[in-house]
Amino acid sequence: MSSVGNQIQPQDRTDDARDGAKIDDQDRWIRVGTSIAADTDQAVSEALSALAGVGQPKLVLLFCSPAHDFARAAALIAAEVGEDRLIGCSTAGELASGLATRGGMTLWALGGEGVSVAVDMGQGSPAGLRAAASEAAGCLNRVERRAHTVLLLLADGLCGDQAEVVRGAYEVAGVDVPLVGGCAGDDMAMQQTRQIYGKRVLSQAVVAAAISSDAPLGIGVSHCWEPQGEPMLVTGSTGTRVLSLEDRPALDVYLEAFDAPPDVRHDHEAFSAWATTRPLGIRRRDRIEIRFVSGADFEQRSLLTIAEVPQGGVAHLMCGDARSVLEATQQACQMAADGLKGEPMQGMLLFDCVARRSVLEDDWLHEEIGRINAVRGEVPVGGFYTYGEIARTRGAGGFHNQTLVALALA
Amino acid sequence: MSEIPWSLHLLSEVLSAFSVEDPKALITVINRVAEAVDAEVVAIVGADGVRHAIGFRDDQFHLLLDGEAIPATIPLQGGSLHTYWAPLGQGERLVVGRLSHGFDLEERSLLRAMARSVELSSEVLRAVTAERRAKEDALHQATHDALTGLPGRALVLQGLDQLLQSGRIPGGETATVLFIDIDRFKQINDVHGHASGDQFLRSVATALRSVVRSADLVGRLSGDEFVVVTCTHRYEDAETLAQRIIEQVGRPQMLAGKLVSYSPSVGIAVGEPHDTAESLIENADMAMYKAKEQGRGCHASYDASMRELARGRAATETELRRAVRQGQIVAHFQPIVSTDGRRVVGFEALARWCHPSHGLLPPSAFVAVAEDTGLIIDIDRLILESTCATLGRWKQQFPHLQLRLSVNVSARSFMDPLLSERVARALSSAGLQPKDLYLEITETMLVEDIEATTLVVDQLKQLGVRLAIDDFGTGYSSMIYLKRFPVGILKIDRSFIDGLGQDLEDEVIVKAVIGLATALGIDLVAEGVETEMQAQMLQELGCNFMQGYCFGRPMAVDQAERMLTAVAEMQSPAQLA
Repeated sequence: MSSVGNQIQPQDRTDDARDGAKIDDQDRWIRVGTSIAADTDQAVSEALSALAGVGQPKLVLLFCSPAHDFARAAALIAAEVGEDRLIGCSTAGELASGLATRGGMTLWALGGEGVSVAVDMGQGSPAGLRAAASEAAGCLNRVERRAHTVLLLLADGLCGDQAEVVRGAYEVAGVDVPLVGGCAGDDMAMQQTRQIYGKRVLSQAVVAAAISSDAPLGIGVSHCWEPQGEPMLVTGSTGTRVLSLEDRPALDVYLEAFDAPPDVRHDHEAFSAWATTRPLGIRRRDRIEIRFVSGADFEQRSLLTIAEVPQGGVAHLMCGDARSVLEATQQACQMAADGLKGEPMQGMLLFDCVARRSVLEDDWLHEEIGRINAVRGEVPVGGFYTYGEIARTRGAGGFHNQTLVALALA
Repeated sequence: MSEIPWSLHLLSEVLSAFSVEDPKALITVINRVAEAVDAEVVAIVGADGVRHAIGFRDDQFHLLLDGEAIPATIPLQGGSLHTYWAPLGQGERLVVGRLSHGFDLEERSLLRAMARSVELSSEVLRAVTAERRAKEDALHQATHDALTGLPGRALVLQGLDQLLQSGRIPGGETATVLFIDIDRFKQINDVHGHASGDQFLRSVATALRSVVRSADLVGRLSGDEFVVVTCTHRYEDAETLAQRIIEQVGRPQMLAGKLVSYSPSVGIAVGEPHDTAESLIENADMAMYKAKEQGRGCHASYDASMRELARGRAATETELRRAVRQGQIVAHFQPIVSTDGRRVVGFEALARWCHPSHGLLPPSAFVAVAEDTGLIIDIDRLILESTCATLGRWKQQFPHLQLRLSVNVSARSFMDPLLSERVARALSSAGLQPKDLYLEITETMLVEDIEATTLVVDQLKQLGVRLAIDDFGTGYSSMIYLKRFPVGILKIDRSFIDGLGQDLEDEVIVKAVIGLATALGIDLVAEGVETEMQAQMLQELGCNFMQGYCFGRPMAVDQAERMLTAVAEMQSPAQLA
């Protein structure tokens, strides 16, 4: 196996691509395949090997590094599993059972008689993804309903206000159906993300899968970031651009508060990397919502975010460390597992913010995998590093940043 | 945490979400309300139902509407949806529902304030939307043609200008304009009425929309002039589109209960780097005229020489209008003689333009312009009235000659339902009988719009005026109309006469036409007889009458009068009897 990407794994795991081999006869099964091969054909072949001998999956999620040829990967996988059950997106890193990769490919597959799935997509525009999300959520109208249903969303992480994805999907899903998902990444290039629907490779789009199961589904969400310093009034913002905080240019306030090094003050790339671990927090009634700072406008002196920071609101500068990130990991996974109400877990799906990975760096990443393993035990897990996370379980909102969202399936 | 009450800045957020620029701002505000208090359901409920809602599907609205009371809780998902109903104006309420727990005092206070902001937002948005819509409607009316709904000239020019200026043209493509004009459109209005004309124009708009791509621009410039702005890779693409337009627009359709077909002529102009929107449309317009000259129902492309021709054409039009006003259009007379005895039996009246600078001009110098501008109707009327008056005078001067007159009538005049009335007036004023006059038309005119033609022909038949079919043998040569219409004379085309004695086929055709006319009791006039040999042969073949340089060129009225005087002196009444 050639390796251009890097992978982090706990010492007691192997790099075997196959996982979840003991669940063939169950009503619901989950398989996760992965590869870090640079060659797309080889990566697909290795990842697909996890699905050998389990029958036809009902849903296959492809989480794929932008280093790969998406059209080729989608065509090969669709030919193998069926075009009408494949969705996916580009990533900023991939997660598999006991693995965190970059430049790799993960397949997460769900099958069995006790589960129903329908998929759909919506094409958005530079103006936003709300209508696209509503359109994609239309798969809920086609899925055979069982006792427990969830709508899974994968959206373009660099298009418009990501909170609109949740609003658009919620219009269709309503109070009865929780939402989970993540925003596609591009290995931090911040240029273009991709969404996959069957053999089609899309951009500025939302793809969705309605999953309905006889057994419970559990959703966990946690960030564990802490506010730093005094809260500030957002005195000027338009959509995803924060113009001023306390009537001063937002960028200046931000750089001063975090005592930014010189190169960050004028270099876009350096700023984006540095800001990854310094999000903004928006105060809500009983919590703080995190907003990832994706870039800066050095001329206008404004901050760019991937979801709206509303004018008139109160913002906090947030900070976190490896310990708080790891706590959040365990918290989110445990919350998801607890949601299964005692039913045995078949597998887990993770949407992990790329900023959290930046905080952990490679030294601590194996510890995060260990925390995930501690909750999941031997069941397969897959997911990807995102540019934004979706988890709506209560209220109407559900867009998150710098957060881990976990979906556990019994 | 800040000392600012959380509800205050959430209210501030909700207010900031409102935007008069975004017609969907209200739904965004409702989302903000829900997110502010972690509510699952927010709806605006009035006496006539649910206006906006999130969280509930349509089939769940009844949970908010059932019963007269305002429920504090609604059973949902095996638990309770705790609700708060904040009053809005006009009997409406903002309903907010949360599954986890009820709303405390601060939240209720916040929701009332939010409801007030939603109410104000709704009112402002309604007013702004109404004003914006009124402006858009006014703009649409000002820039679009009310009849077809297509963009008008100003919008077409603007769209084309933007296309040329903005560089939006896809790779390798060129801005191209197709100018479409309906052939003989005036006939539709004249014959079938203006309502049918409007119906036809709407059908043209539909036909054009159906053949262009979604990115193309279709507009109506004026009257029966339409334009298509498109982008093409190759000139052949424009030709293909033009052909599709010709086929689609020219399809037969029902107008006023009659099946008719009117072809379009299409001019194509492909943009050059220096072109402006105006110049490109002008070029396509000129190309369209070229298509009309080539026989209508076809397409032609612009080339630089057309601009010079167009200038000449515009100058001719101006001069011709003046000529009609100032009486420069006059009739000349060419004698028609009997084959046996070579007696003058009448004249064909031919229009001539006495141009102040260029001298006497034949019809070929001005008829095309006259037809396109509609001046042909004025010219036809002038010639008809003046020549009838002349014949009336001659009949008094030379009563024993029993002269007859053939007057050419254009297609546009022939379709005019007022023609018979005009003819009757001219005959009456001149003291002539209907049998003294033949209206000379071509075969094509009879069969082109047979329904419309029948109407006019029936009126002429009632009046007693007969038709002379010009250029017989070159057109449809349908036997049907010879029986159906009051045809008194067939004029054998000069092309067959030229071949007499040289081309056996021509001789056979002439014989056949003579046989046909004899069988039907229709007189024959051989046109373009220039030699004595031709005259001899026609006499042998049994042709009744002849016309051509052999017997006299077209001549002015005084010259014709001198000829008649001479003829009258030679032909005594006894000889003519």
